[in-house]
Amino acid sequence: MAVACLLGAEEFGFATGPLITMGCVMMRVCNLDTCPVGVATQNPELRARFKGKPEYVENFMRFIAQDLREWMAKIGVKTINEMVGHVEKLVPKHLHHWKAKEVDLTNMLYQPKICSNDSERYFNTPQDHELEKCIDVNALVRLCQPAINNGKKISASLAITNINRVCGTILSSEITKKYGAEGLPEDTINLDFSGSAGQSFGAFQTHGVTMRLEGDSNDYIGKGLSGGKIIVVPPKKAKFEADKNVIIGNVAFYGAVSGEAYINGMAGERFCVRNSGITAVVEGIGQHGCEYMTGGCVAILGEIGRNFAAGMSGGVAYVYNKDNTLDAKCNKSLVLIEKVEDSEDVAQLKEMLEKHYKYTGSKTAKAILADWENEVKNFAKVIPSAYKEMITEIKRCKAQGLSDEDAIMDAFIEVSKTTIIKKTERSAVNG
Amino acid sequence: MGKPTGFLEYERQLPQDRPADERMKDWAEFHTHYDIEHLRKQGARCMNCGVPFCHTGDPTVGGCPLGNLIPEWNDLVYHGKIEEAYKRLTKTSNFPEFTGRVCPALCEGSCTAGMNGDPVTVKNIEVHIIDTMFEQGKVQPRIPQKSTEKRVAVIGSGPSGLACADILNQCGHKVTVFERSDRVGGLLMYGIPNMKLDKKIVQRRVDILQKEGITFLTDTEVGKNYSAAKVVNEFDALLRRNSSEGFAGGRKKRC
Repeated sequence: MAVACLLGAEEFGFATGPLITMGCVMMRVCNLDTCPVGVATQNPELRARFKGKPEYVENFMRFIAQDLREWMAKIGVKTINEMVGHVEKLVPKHLHHWKAKEVDLTNMLYQPKICSNDSERYFNTPQDHELEKCIDVNALVRLCQPAINNGKKISASLAITNINRVCGTILSSEITKKYGAEGLPEDTINLDFSGSAGQSFGAFQTHGVTMRLEGDSNDYIGKGLSGGKIIVVPPKKAKFEADKNVIIGNVAFYGAVSGEAYINGMAGERFCVRNSGITAVVEGIGQHGCEYMTGGCVAILGEIGRNFAAGMSGGVAYVYNKDNTLDAKCNKSLVLIEKVEDSEDVAQLKEMLEKHYKYTGSKTAKAILADWENEVKNFAKVIPSAYKEMITEIKRCKAQGLSDEDAIMDAFIEVSKTTIIKKTERSAVNG
Repeated sequence: MGKPTGFLEYERQLPQDRPADERMKDWAEFHTHYDIEHLRKQGARCMNCGVPFCHTGDPTVGGCPLGNLIPEWNDLVYHGKIEEAYKRLTKTSNFPEFTGRVCPALCEGSCTAGMNGDPVTVKNIEVHIIDTMFEQGKVQPRIPQKSTEKRVAVIGSGPSGLACADILNQCGHKVTVFERSDRVGGLLMYGIPNMKLDKKIVQRRVDILQKEGITFLTDTEVGKNYSAAKVVNEFDALLRRNSSEGFAGGRKKRC
């Protein structure tokens, strides 16, 4: 720590050290739910083995602090802030090791002249994010004050350009401060934007906020979406075909948690990566769509790029597969490709498309709905095999009369037994 | 590797020792062997730790001083691949049939499964692997393919002398082992009783080593009936094991 501080560190992170004081033995099976010391596991039997106490971490940190104090006394500084960046206090050890002796530390130990006063080595440039200039603080929060205060319905139209980043996030933060994660009732705030939205349009947008964008959007639209609704349509004047042109950028709805999204156009690459719960409809996507998705439901009415559903461990994707390219473009290591036959699935997909048409006026959705009985056969359902197994097991447990929570726990225990065995068998086959 | 939930599903079990009243009648070994199915379950108990303490070999931590690749062969045994396990085992251990019988099993003392329960039966698995291989005739002399024409003298034919002789011989050197007693094996032959390590098992290994080209000179005590000067003259290198008697620091004669 002393060395890091002298090299310029102002903050220090501790992870493995404190974990070890709590009993971690670095088994590296945190992912298998078999942690034998009860640190990283949900298994009640193993959790009972946990022997850690907060005092152990406290003690560890005290030792660290004491040791650091002793080093500080040796070099004659009273506070960490005085110590930051004083590389001149470091003297390189000259090792005779064949590798170490070639290391030249001159550049690392260079002392830049940054200021006249040495104490300013610590935190000498305050950060200014100019939040007061952003569209949220400037307009949205003020505009939506009646909704935030009294839950009054608000509708407004605004122009947007690509310098307006993270539009709607501070507004959502204000709502969350007052109403918590539940937010406001659906469609309390309706904001119509026109223009080109900057990065992270509608990021972390909460319940009750609906943002409609007529135009296009940059990357990260709807990142971490937390209950809100996002609708993107091409400008009315636009002559291009919506389903053949990209209107939202890459990494749309990254890590989205809940909410809805209707995009009348194509999305860039990495659409809905790490989505854990939103319902999204889009007319086409680039490569790596639905990668690492863990939940939610996505409908894609057009083209998909390569490596679709890679590492997808949960959720469902419905893909319009009239040209039969899904099989070649999908990364099938975790997922199954099925037909959309189950009545629940059909109903879910139809509802998504109806909403898509209602919100965006999509021609594609209209055409599909017009010939629904036939068109539904052109859809394929992409579902992770383990997720499917889990869903089936939960349903079975619930049918036996268990409460939701108990059903999930029982299903989890049952499924994890069999999957772990499968994994082991697979690793044995792979050698 | 192993079975991740194995340590939760199976208890530690060792094969039943021979009953005491039967043992009283002879001096033979009293530990018995498991069948493969039992053994697989014991192998499945290994958790394949990210940081396996069983083979660190660090005296302050514990674990196998040989650095045996314990989780690897536990896993192979779990999958019923005894021959593969034997190959992994002999990568680090010259004579598993000795250590599997008489080693104090520091690996089991440092086994992570032992923190909250019983450790994996590493020692039993080890002896099973090598004994099965002997039974199936898979342990055959490995004649060195090349010779360096260098002569090495190893003084003392105890466990470490034999291990050194084995490794040097496999490197292609011509090895001669000097033994003061009338039989090869040192502590293995004259120190450990039959009930723990049968003399036949020691002799079986010595025979193999002999076939592999190692020369054993018994009843030969360097400095008494074979002069030290002669050894120095005849050999390119001399290896004196720590406990070879008559040398400074060696084991003192007690009789």
